[in-house]
Amino acid sequence: MNALNRNCAGIARRDFIQLGTGGVLGLGMGDLVRLRADAARLAGKASPDRMNCILVWLDGGPTHYETFDPKPDAPSGVRGEFKPIPTTVPGVSFCETMPKLAKTLDRMAIIRSICHKDPNHGGGNHYMMTGAPTPVPVNCGSSVSFHPSFGSTVSHLRGIRDGLPAYATLPRKSRSAGPHFLGGQHAPFVIDGDPNRTGYRVRDVVLPKSISEGRANTRLKLRRSLDRMLRIADAAAADPAVEFDSFYQQGIDLISSTKAQAAFDVEKEPAEVRDRYGRNDFGQRLLLARRLAGVGVSFVTVYNGGWDHHTNIFKEPFRKKVERVDTGMAALINDLHDRGQLDSTLVLLLGEFGRTPKINKDGGRDHWPHAMSVLVAGAGVPPGQVIGATDVKGYYASENIHSPEDFACSLYTKMGIDPHTILHTNTGRPLPIVNGGAPIKELFG
Amino acid sequence: MRGLLFRRLGVFCVSANGVPCRVGFSVLLCLAGSLGQALEPEPVVVFPPEINLLAKGRQQVVVQQRLANGLSADWSREAVYASSDPSVAVVEQGVVRAQGEGLAKLRVEAAGQVVNVDLFVGAKRGDHRLSFLGDVLPVLGRAGCAGGSCHAKPKGQNGFSLSVFSFDPAADYREVVKDERGRRVFPAFPAESLLLQKPTLAVEHEGGKRLEVGSPFYRIIHDWITQGMPYRLPGESEIEGISVFPGGQRYAKSAEQQLVVTARFADGTNRDVTHLADYSSNDKEVAGVNHDGLVRVGTLSGEGVIVVRYMGEVAQARITVPTDRRYNDAVYAGLPRNNFIDDLAYARFQKLGLLPSDLCSDPEFMRRAFIDTIGLLPEPTEVRRFLADASPDKRAQLIDRLLDDPAYADTWANRWGDLFRPNIARVGLKSAYTIDNWIRECFAANKPYDQMVREIVTAKGSTHRVGPAVIYRTRREPETLTTLFSQSFLGVRLECARCHHHPNEQWSQRDFYQFAAFFAETKRKGTGISPPISAGTQYIYHAPGGTVRHPVSNEAMQPTPLAAKPLDTPAGIDPRETLADWMLEPGNPFFARAMANRVWGQFFGRGIVHPVDDFRTTNPPTNPALLDAVAADFAANGFDLKRLMRRIMNSRLYQLSSIPNRTNAQDTRSFSRFYRRRLSAENLHDIVVQVTGVGSRYNNLRSDARAAELWTTIMDSPMLESFGLPNASRNCPVERDDRPSMVQALHLMNSETLQAKLADKSGRAATLGQAERSPGEVVDELYLSVYSRWPSADERAVAAAAFATEGAKRQEVVEDLLWALLNSAEFVFNH
Repeated sequence: MNALNRNCAGIARRDFIQLGTGGVLGLGMGDLVRLRADAARLAGKASPDRMNCILVWLDGGPTHYETFDPKPDAPSGVRGEFKPIPTTVPGVSFCETMPKLAKTLDRMAIIRSICHKDPNHGGGNHYMMTGAPTPVPVNCGSSVSFHPSFGSTVSHLRGIRDGLPAYATLPRKSRSAGPHFLGGQHAPFVIDGDPNRTGYRVRDVVLPKSISEGRANTRLKLRRSLDRMLRIADAAAADPAVEFDSFYQQGIDLISSTKAQAAFDVEKEPAEVRDRYGRNDFGQRLLLARRLAGVGVSFVTVYNGGWDHHTNIFKEPFRKKVERVDTGMAALINDLHDRGQLDSTLVLLLGEFGRTPKINKDGGRDHWPHAMSVLVAGAGVPPGQVIGATDVKGYYASENIHSPEDFACSLYTKMGIDPHTILHTNTGRPLPIVNGGAPIKELFG
Repeated sequence: MRGLLFRRLGVFCVSANGVPCRVGFSVLLCLAGSLGQALEPEPVVVFPPEINLLAKGRQQVVVQQRLANGLSADWSREAVYASSDPSVAVVEQGVVRAQGEGLAKLRVEAAGQVVNVDLFVGAKRGDHRLSFLGDVLPVLGRAGCAGGSCHAKPKGQNGFSLSVFSFDPAADYREVVKDERGRRVFPAFPAESLLLQKPTLAVEHEGGKRLEVGSPFYRIIHDWITQGMPYRLPGESEIEGISVFPGGQRYAKSAEQQLVVTARFADGTNRDVTHLADYSSNDKEVAGVNHDGLVRVGTLSGEGVIVVRYMGEVAQARITVPTDRRYNDAVYAGLPRNNFIDDLAYARFQKLGLLPSDLCSDPEFMRRAFIDTIGLLPEPTEVRRFLADASPDKRAQLIDRLLDDPAYADTWANRWGDLFRPNIARVGLKSAYTIDNWIRECFAANKPYDQMVREIVTAKGSTHRVGPAVIYRTRREPETLTTLFSQSFLGVRLECARCHHHPNEQWSQRDFYQFAAFFAETKRKGTGISPPISAGTQYIYHAPGGTVRHPVSNEAMQPTPLAAKPLDTPAGIDPRETLADWMLEPGNPFFARAMANRVWGQFFGRGIVHPVDDFRTTNPPTNPALLDAVAADFAANGFDLKRLMRRIMNSRLYQLSSIPNRTNAQDTRSFSRFYRRRLSAENLHDIVVQVTGVGSRYNNLRSDARAAELWTTIMDSPMLESFGLPNASRNCPVERDDRPSMVQALHLMNSETLQAKLADKSGRAATLGQAERSPGEVVDELYLSVYSRWPSADERAVAAAAFATEGAKRQEVVEDLLWALLNSAEFVFNH
């Protein structure tokens, strides 16, 4: 496999998924995973401090009716053309578009009663990706950033762990996914490209395709002998070149670590597993996200666009789109469960809002922040639950109503972070990471 | 001891490959005989010089002495105190407390001297009456209740909400006395009031214990509730300001200083509020401060500011810690200097005991000057010519040539874009393009800066034709224009004062909304905020009518500039014209300094005030005389930006080496050495393109366009993004993050796009690979391209040896060498 760590003895290397002592080194990925699972089971619950999060973002605002909150008793102009189907939990139905997740409800939960008041993509994205509403109204086209995103905050509070970027996003970042005042070190590491393509490589963390390991070693040796600008040793001099060196070394560690490299390589998965996630870009991104979380990337966002269904919800393209989500998410949750990783991974599926009850003239639904459904799994969330409810026609969250702040508090608490931790902006202004709100108690067993 | 010493100065640096190198040089040093002028310690001084107390009053006392070396010593904690009449006042640990009406003497013995201070305690006027404004609110502030992270959060905490820094005392009073149906205060049994039960933990309190039962603060709240909870006492005087003693002194390392904070009231009385004030330090390494106003000087030399806050009033104490070394006039007189910048910088160095680093080498100067003016590197031919040029003024000539280079305008317009580049999602593509073009034209024509600002401040017309009008499309309220213009053109961050009194400054909400009133009559018609594709034009115009009101008092505001009297705004004239007149009039205290400092920051990596647009008395310039002189020079020369840059670049200061000498490694703000900084995203990208000889393609731009020509930051470029291109979704002005990161390191190391540029058949590596040149000549060419210098003999040998490795392919070796240079600190940093 990767020879860098063998050939280049001068490079200090940290094996970051080492579970115990060096004895683990000879084991393959599968063994490691089982060990980790055993450890998690022995401990009863994963330590929140080691909890990782996979947040799947359906950009545009997925309809709650045609996913997790069907309303068969509503008038036809509201209930739509799809039928409800039973789930593994008696008395709970999903829309017929979600057959696989319906069978997975015993391993996850749905919150049907999160709502807010911002019907624009810009504002809704900001609210649901940062936990903070925008302080001024922003329109639909807007990408705005007034508050650090969940991932950036986690990155800031946890820092780089095990030589891995703490916050990654595939294949792009959503509008408000940035670090705001926390700085570029906490911007998401963007993993673009399509992992379903043969020969796919995660950019920048693996050697360029045309560069062999031997050649990479030659390059590093050349660099070491030619990088001669004097570094100023006195720490009080704050020489940025010294800081650059430490990051560069971390980068070398990352490309020298066999196990990190394996995590980036989705082709290491058995074909059967890859099939289960769906042989499409979205499914394979979920699989890659699972691999990254598995080696300790704290926060992974998987972005999936095109959920702004103002037209043609009941046509084929929508069915196809939702089918991929159903397949991929069910595979992700079941896979994490089978590998014993579900307790140490928080899985979330959401968008910026739900959609209007009345089907419009184009057979679509418009923006509707008064009700939305959010999938939550793992991280010790008691499975098999539906938390909260909307009214009989699905207009408004009506029971056990929760705000985006409550959602954000739950997320941070699961990650072992006090949601009311105070950060300080560049001007010294104290800013709680979530302003108000409380964890949703049903998510905590 | 006054003598001449020969000293060898040197500093050890360790290069990345672990070889220690001695950067040494001999300097003739004249060590000054003593640190200050005074040779005898001065008499001990007690502050305050006389003590006047009301019944139940208290006074913090400090005992100061200026030592023989000119530094201050505070004997307050060692001094022995005695009151001549304990029935009048008692003294404990430097705090005098009134006991009964009368006269007495306070005897202070310290440093072998005795000082007697007159002490007067006034009559008891019936009961000691307490008020919310004068007594309770300060206690709530001091106990931390009104902190931004507690009850002064936007939504309060658990239903109890106070105003930040008590900017709205009337609302706070309602909140305490009237809200929750009066549950917070219980006059029949004051101790049962939630206001006392919570902070003493008698009932659960998330904020923890803030008060001890029976403590003086507890008694104040308790007695006030008993007395019927008056908001203000009849005839109670308003606070006018606070002062701190000592206001600015020089200290030895590790010294301590107790501060005394005095509040002044409108009726002429004073009150010691040392125990109620809030303290913070702007540089904890120079000096920290505790809750009680005791300053602890650190172990670095430098200057720090302690900010003191009390009831919305701010004062500061400057702490100067001179270095242990000081050199006399002859040392500095002998230093080479190019213009007034050097004179003023050296004066500052002498105060701090710093000596400037050596002059940087010609290649370093050349690289630096190219990056800072045009965001590119010199081509090898130009490097060769410059290095071979023997004319003594070749640096000045190069500066002139660079400022005339066509790439100058794009590079500086790109930097200015950070201030005004709109979010296309808010204004539409065409508007974004219009303002971008306007900024580029300004720099291309070297439009005088005052004219440029006048065009912005008074902009009118279509956002599809008039560049600066676009600012009014993205900033749609008087408030948001206020924060943008005050920060960009005056260097004052007023944002805080929009919602509450500025925490570190004199600025109040009144100052903010009076400034906002200049924009009350600015109107818009046409399509408003709209999605990018369909964005129509909008017209910005002036029409009478419209007021800005104070959000708390609801009073209509008079247009008033900062720290000035209201301006007369004749009917029918756009108040923005009046504002522009005020900004641009000679002697405006903000305008020239703000821009001079911003430009300085571009050339030196940090401003004389830093951050460059955060002028505050609590964030002073590191060299005020220098900033004033640069600003005056800028204004006197018609706000000519190129002239300002020429002045800066021709100074010796700009041409100093980044390698420290023995005196200045720890100097990070006085510019005694050149501070290294990472190349900006656009500069790094453009230079990679230049050095590899292979361009990038961007949407909506010519195929050979530079990143400096981008007119929006919505770009799909991992390189630009990794190196800190501002997120297009952030509001301007954006602050760049120029720190290195792991993502940047990984990108340089492994990027497929960079590899493609290295391996491109028409790129520099391929050209050099195919050329009939010796390995040594190829190495020369690479060094000249990437580092703007010749390789050393050893570097040349090491690099050339790579060609001789067994199985090495010439083309690949060239690529690998270029890769190695691009991945080095010497490339990534401007140094």
